[in-house]
Amino acid sequence: MKLELRKRESISRRAAIVVPLASFGVSLLFGAILLIVSGANPLQTYAAMAGGAFGSVNGLTEVLVKSIPLILTGLGVALAFRMRFWNIGAEGQLTMGAVAAAGVALFWSQGMPAWTILPLSLLAGCIAGAVWAGVPAILKAFLNVDETLTTLMLNYVAVLYSEHLYYVAWRAPNYNSGTERIPEFAWLPRIAGRAHAGIFIGLAIAVLLWAVFRYTRWGFELKIIGANPTAARYLGISIARNIVVTLLVSGAISGLAGAGEVLGLTRRLQQGISVGYGYTAIIIAWMAQLNPLGVVLVAFLMAALAVGGDQIQMRMRLPASVGVVLQGMLLIPMLAGSIFREYSLHVSRARNQESRIENREDTDRQEDDAVDGEAAETGGANGSSRSRGTGGAAGTLRSGGTEGSAGSLRSGGTGGSA
Amino acid sequence: MKKRVLAVVALALVMSMALTACGTGAKESEGPFKVALVYIGPPGDLGWTYEHDRGRKAVEAEFGDDVETTYIESVEEGPDAARVIRQYAQEGYDMIFATSFGYMDPMFEVAEEFPDVIFEHCSGYKTLDNMGTYFGRIYQPRYLAGLVAGSMTEVNNIGYVAAFPIPEVIRGINAFTLGVRDANPEATVTVVWTNTWYDPVKEREAAIALLDAGVDIVTQHQDTTEPQKAAQERGALSIGYDSDMRAFVGDTVLTSPMWNWETYYIDTIRQAMDGKWETHQYWGGLSDGVVKLAEFSPKVPQDVRDLVADAQKAIIDDDDIFCGPINAQDGSVLVAEGACMDDAGKLSMMVFVEGVVGTIPAQ
Amino acid sequence: MTARITQPTVSPPVLQMRSITKRFPGVLANDRVDLDLYAGEVLALLGENGAGKSTLMNILAGLYRPDAGEILIQGRPAEIHAPRDAAAFGIGMVHQNFMLVPTMTVAQNIVLGIADLAFVPDLGAIETRIRELSDRYGLKVDPRAYIWQLGVGEQQRVEILKLIYRGADIVILDEPTAVLTPQEAQDLGRILAVMQAEGKSIVFITHKMAEVIAFSDRVCVLRQGRVVATKRTADTNPRELARLMVGREVLFRLDKRPAQPGDPVLTLEAVHANNDKGLPALRDVSLQARQGEILGIAGVAGNGQQELAEVVTGLRPIKRGKLLINQRDLTHCTSLEAIHAGVSHIPADRVGMGSVGDMPVADNIVMKAYRMPPLARQGVLNRRRILDFARALIDVFQIATPTPQTHVKFLSGGNIQKTILAREIDACTDLLVAVYPSRGLDVGATEAVRRRLLEQRDEGRAVLLVSEDLDELRTVADRIAVLYEGRVMGVVNAEEADVETLGLMMAGASDPVIGDAAADPGTEGGRTQ
Repeated sequence: MKLELRKRESISRRAAIVVPLASFGVSLLFGAILLIVSGANPLQTYAAMAGGAFGSVNGLTEVLVKSIPLILTGLGVALAFRMRFWNIGAEGQLTMGAVAAAGVALFWSQGMPAWTILPLSLLAGCIAGAVWAGVPAILKAFLNVDETLTTLMLNYVAVLYSEHLYYVAWRAPNYNSGTERIPEFAWLPRIAGRAHAGIFIGLAIAVLLWAVFRYTRWGFELKIIGANPTAARYLGISIARNIVVTLLVSGAISGLAGAGEVLGLTRRLQQGISVGYGYTAIIIAWMAQLNPLGVVLVAFLMAALAVGGDQIQMRMRLPASVGVVLQGMLLIPMLAGSIFREYSLHVSRARNQESRIENREDTDRQEDDAVDGEAAETGGANGSSRSRGTGGAAGTLRSGGTEGSAGSLRSGGTGGSA
Repeated sequence: MKKRVLAVVALALVMSMALTACGTGAKESEGPFKVALVYIGPPGDLGWTYEHDRGRKAVEAEFGDDVETTYIESVEEGPDAARVIRQYAQEGYDMIFATSFGYMDPMFEVAEEFPDVIFEHCSGYKTLDNMGTYFGRIYQPRYLAGLVAGSMTEVNNIGYVAAFPIPEVIRGINAFTLGVRDANPEATVTVVWTNTWYDPVKEREAAIALLDAGVDIVTQHQDTTEPQKAAQERGALSIGYDSDMRAFVGDTVLTSPMWNWETYYIDTIRQAMDGKWETHQYWGGLSDGVVKLAEFSPKVPQDVRDLVADAQKAIIDDDDIFCGPINAQDGSVLVAEGACMDDAGKLSMMVFVEGVVGTIPAQ
Repeated sequence: MTARITQPTVSPPVLQMRSITKRFPGVLANDRVDLDLYAGEVLALLGENGAGKSTLMNILAGLYRPDAGEILIQGRPAEIHAPRDAAAFGIGMVHQNFMLVPTMTVAQNIVLGIADLAFVPDLGAIETRIRELSDRYGLKVDPRAYIWQLGVGEQQRVEILKLIYRGADIVILDEPTAVLTPQEAQDLGRILAVMQAEGKSIVFITHKMAEVIAFSDRVCVLRQGRVVATKRTADTNPRELARLMVGREVLFRLDKRPAQPGDPVLTLEAVHANNDKGLPALRDVSLQARQGEILGIAGVAGNGQQELAEVVTGLRPIKRGKLLINQRDLTHCTSLEAIHAGVSHIPADRVGMGSVGDMPVADNIVMKAYRMPPLARQGVLNRRRILDFARALIDVFQIATPTPQTHVKFLSGGNIQKTILAREIDACTDLLVAVYPSRGLDVGATEAVRRRLLEQRDEGRAVLLVSEDLDELRTVADRIAVLYEGRVMGVVNAEEADVETLGLMMAGASDPVIGDAAADPGTEGGRTQ
């Protein structure tokens, strides 16, 4: 007997609804197993988590607080991922945004009209984030340097640099760490509890990006590049220019997230500005299938998971590690579930090689260098490896597609390894 | 005003959630005195947080059913801490302890909002009528440990894995170095910075770097036992910190300047329960027992033990260690002969004393 | 070249494939194919692209399973379900794309995947054995070298060594010389001779006549999935093989009016360009295509046609020489500049390059027009107009799609091609470059494509038609240029073109017969043979 994934003939509307719900159910079940093993009552735990996140105004505003940086970095990441630029540097871009915004707010406030400081600080955050993403973009566009490495490395540079600033160079006297508080006129106004106006910026950018993706030439070109870079080149679309422009915007949005945290929440540059938002953003962008409006929704849920997760320790008296593992357990089925939107599971009895072959190109076509062998039924071929003779499943992260189907985990060739 | 109303509604909501969810029927008015602690690391760090948690357990043992304690571990300094502290305040905890410097502002912010809850912040300096601070003069046992190290180094070079270039850490390095030099004027203390409080890998690497550079005793200011283990693996000696690390590593740990919060926690909670709590800035030393030197390893010879015992007696008899003459690292006079540094000076100390090899990153 | 060993055909064949049939969706790749292989012989498997050579060998290697037919090894039926079954029968295949791990050494690669390898392999002994084998077969490689350090020729030797090491008696080489330099190809010939002398049987897949003659004892010609002939190499000649390989059946005739050529649209002057591997792909190519004419490009795949099309459309840099479109120098143009100059391109790879499978048909149709009003203004797309525009073209080009929003990947090959045609022809103002436009299409779709090309010609555009189907070229093109190893072997008028002559030119024979084309503008400044 053999399990086999088959590509769906079309993206079914039903699957689009049923799959996430089923995934969520499986998530809760997985989590429940962990909780039982840890000696906690799953129902109580889930109720406590829901209560922590949604059961009070304070909880809700805290969810908003957390969702602001997640929305912004999620949007920044989703934008870059649209064209399959694997920007995993949102963390660094956020951090540099925070550094720049704090720098401007702290040190430019003399000699400048007070009202200019807030917009200038936000702008500085954007620029710093853009620069931080722009460097890997330029390296990729003109020297083809792998962006996953450069963006990741720059994260460390940014985080360590910011530590240097708040522990050493900009440290306020009498403080172990952290800068002076930024002047009040540079604060981003708060709207409820600690939730600040950054939420409006996030929502506005989400709507804007949604429109860009749908209604602009730029968005159209991004989608083509993301779905098939070879075709983009052939269609006269400059990939290099798009990489640079897109990443500047992507970085700017993440930089804004950092600026928002400093100007709206901590009001000083200090430790804990980012608790891995830039990395969570990757999960968010992915789960939202790179849809900007989806990012808002998923970011909100992730924020709720984090805020509600406090209760695992506070009320359920479980160690912090259980909370972290639980969050992971809840996420994995959700992520894995996305594969079932595009593939359906089939169970067959025979050891069936045939099914595996069918997804494969008639190899005779491989004889020609021109044919970048992927059969029509496996979907567009982009950067596909042609050496598939061993039948190993080549997992590729795919995005592209319409709003409904952009981004999901796809395996290049089905079937197990030989 | 509106905010207050919302908060009350929120509180009611949370409580009803708690009631329905847990079904335990939490008794709000006549229940035990509820205490929460916010930890920077896990209690299993065998160092800083371990000692605070030992204090918490002592409280539970002392008061039994009259006090209910809880804690949340590994809370990032910064925005997340404010959320957690507020959550405890909202859930009706009577007293909240926050055990890292970075929790100061978040706690201050929440304390302003909840005047009926008592807040205690460890190692900071901001106070309110309902927020006090507490810390210990760990530099005193550090000086004693320095005496041990200075007496026992064979290469006259001791390694110090330092956390962050802040007064608290610099004070510790200086006190330790004064001890080393009092026992052995030839010896120096080499400092490397990790910029971490709790990063076992980095701290181990830093210790190895020092051992490679030729030191034969290692000590540190972070919350892990990794430098001690690294030293042991290299056949070198070490001085612990935070807790009695000899218990976790072995006899190569000669001794440890350690925290001992049991008495403080029991006392301050008792005051709060009795309604006698008042805001304070507590900075206790060896005389209070809030800091102490752990028991010696069998490797420490009797003459060294005697030296330490004499010095400890002198400190308890109010003879501070930061008394002149003390030269700064560059040879200039830091504390003149006959003078002693006041607490303000100690709390803002940003220069090394003579005998330290290393630099404080420029500000 | 090397001394031939006469085949003692008295012994039974080591391998027999009987009536092998293999279908892929829409294609009959192998149709009742019979094949015998004897011990110690080199058998060439000759055929055009798509003739079914690789499919047949992949069946033998266990990658595919035949729909019908049987395989006998040493006279006994053999069930080959997976590559490891094939290996157990002593069958090994060197694929076109080598299956080596670049970060591992030669020795590690060779033993990689051996089932009964010790948990901790004795690499020393393995290396000794590899050295022994490589001496015996003249396969010079250092067992300790890392794959990434090796050239293509050396990597191929590692692949062959891997098979020998594992005791393969039947070695299949899939177009082994495609990636080799002429010198390396000669080395390979020597290696084959040694292997043959050691009693191994070799099948090598090719479509190059010279190699068949040089390396093989027998040759089996496949066309459209069928065996059309099996001959002793000594009993045949390139001319006959070319005819067998290409075939001479004419599918159908198109209503084609005489061309009325006007001014030159495309002019290539002594163009040199490299392929993706950095090797010369076009050498000194001079061609001209005029308004109202179709210039056909013939040649066996991999002789520079692809690169020629890419050079003309701005996708591949020109190393030397000149490219003019309408007398404007576009030698160093980008693909966007080529598009703006009125060049349209129907690429060979319609899935990988010509279309975006994960996007709707409508979007694919406007992928060139979207830049201009009325579809876009100030960078903002007018979605309604785009849909109208696409609907109109879907209608005109009779693209069978459920809706304009259906993703292209769900269409059949013919309809994907029509989608590309719609976009490219709509955008075309001066030059249409069509590369293998009818490949893999059924008769109806093929006809539609060809008619569109003629239509473009009759409307006064220049068409560059790259095809490997000589019938197509003879029916559709007005003049035919033959490319071999990146050189223009000659340009002939389509009516006068003779399949056998073309076939010979495609196989690299300089052709003395064709002199009249010299009078044609297409060869001016061109090659002398």
